[in-house]
Amino acid sequence: MRKNKSEDKVIAFIIENQENFYRLAFSYVKNAADALDIVQESIEKAILKKDLLRDNQSVKSWFYRIVVNSSLDFLRKNKRMSLVDEDTLEYYRSGQNDSYQDIDLRRSLEQLPIKFKSVIILRFFEDLKIDEIAEVLNENKNTIKTRLYKALELLRVEMNEEH
Amino acid sequence: MDKKLEELKREYKNTPIPKDLNKVVQKAIKQKEKKPLRPNSKWIIGLAAAVVIFMVSINTSPAFAKSLSKIPVVGSFIEVLTVLEIHVNENNYDADIKIPQVNNFENKEFENSLNQKYLDENQKLYESFTKEIEEMKKDGDGHLRIDTNYEVMTNDDLIFSIKRTVVETQASAYTTNKFDTIDKQKQIMLTLPILFKSDQYIETISEIIKKQMREQMENNPGNVYWVSDAGIEKLPEDDFFDQIDADQNFYINENHKLVIAFNEYEVAPGYMGAVEFVIPTKKIENILVGNKYIH
Repeated sequence: MRKNKSEDKVIAFIIENQENFYRLAFSYVKNAADALDIVQESIEKAILKKDLLRDNQSVKSWFYRIVVNSSLDFLRKNKRMSLVDEDTLEYYRSGQNDSYQDIDLRRSLEQLPIKFKSVIILRFFEDLKIDEIAEVLNENKNTIKTRLYKALELLRVEMNEEH
Repeated sequence: MDKKLEELKREYKNTPIPKDLNKVVQKAIKQKEKKPLRPNSKWIIGLAAAVVIFMVSINTSPAFAKSLSKIPVVGSFIEVLTVLEIHVNENNYDADIKIPQVNNFENKEFENSLNQKYLDENQKLYESFTKEIEEMKKDGDGHLRIDTNYEVMTNDDLIFSIKRTVVETQASAYTTNKFDTIDKQKQIMLTLPILFKSDQYIETISEIIKKQMREQMENNPGNVYWVSDAGIEKLPEDDFFDQIDADQNFYINENHKLVIAFNEYEVAPGYMGAVEFVIPTKKIENILVGNKYIH
């Protein structure tokens, strides 16, 4: 059996970071059983596709990408995604000028469109770098920066850190 | 970092971790690369038989029939009813078999031959189910479950497409689908060779599908197909999808596009399920006999 280095690397990484993957999956699907399924599915996918991992690519962003995509697929299949349309978005955006002040913070994170929620979670909770997030979400760095900025704006959180 | 964000982060990090997480992870790692065997190939040894209790109930699902009758169609419309359900429920052995029956065909002979076919395929399945569980019981262990069902994919003025699904579950589930697509006006069964001018379609459609597979794999690391030139060279050459069969599973969808269907494990790992590919009409219009059915 050809058991190469990249496989060992991937497996070690998965075992070490399993709780992070679980939390990430849970943040999307909000249900322990489904989150476990997603972790399991992601690992199976990763191992099947580990040969696609380029040498210079980080295992970290590659695997996060699989977890995020599996979660999104799951939401799509189960139609639980609460999409926010432009109007609602506009409503939140304009919210910063008026006087609603005590929107429950967690609820407001949940109410962010998925793409904004993803950057917040990956950047601040999972501590990924901007270019890692770009790889995970398959976008370019500038898009991620803009999205992050907008997400914070929507959450009405001050951004006082460099990236 | 902002205080609110820190609070959110704390909450996030406090997501309770289920205690089976590690077990699930270890199991997923161990199961790697095992292409599941078709469940049927295992479990055969045994002793001593027992009686299967089964119930046959005639069921005409009136609600379903009614919903179908409401579809406004010109000319004859076809109804599908569940005429026969077989339930077996005994310890580890379950069967839930639903047999469809079509009616309202002008050509009664054609109608009968279809219904006979649906009956036969389910009967055959049921017989192999009873045989298999007898053998499993001799061994004193094992479990088996069979579900069959059907779904009307398209039912308009011209086209009637029906899918029949069989799910066999032992250790893992294995799904097979069969399709019939019918020209309602001529009351004939459509096949790929009827739809195309020559057997060139086999190659053309296969290439279209391979391209779609590669694109999907490129765009989503979670999608895997057994296709060449997509980065999974590790698989033996023979395992790659090469060509569709001349009588590959297909149906015509509501938009009158050709859809090529594969059974589970046929071209992709099990978690991908039974996959389907919609063939863009533009790419096949030159080799189609006409644009009556597919456009």
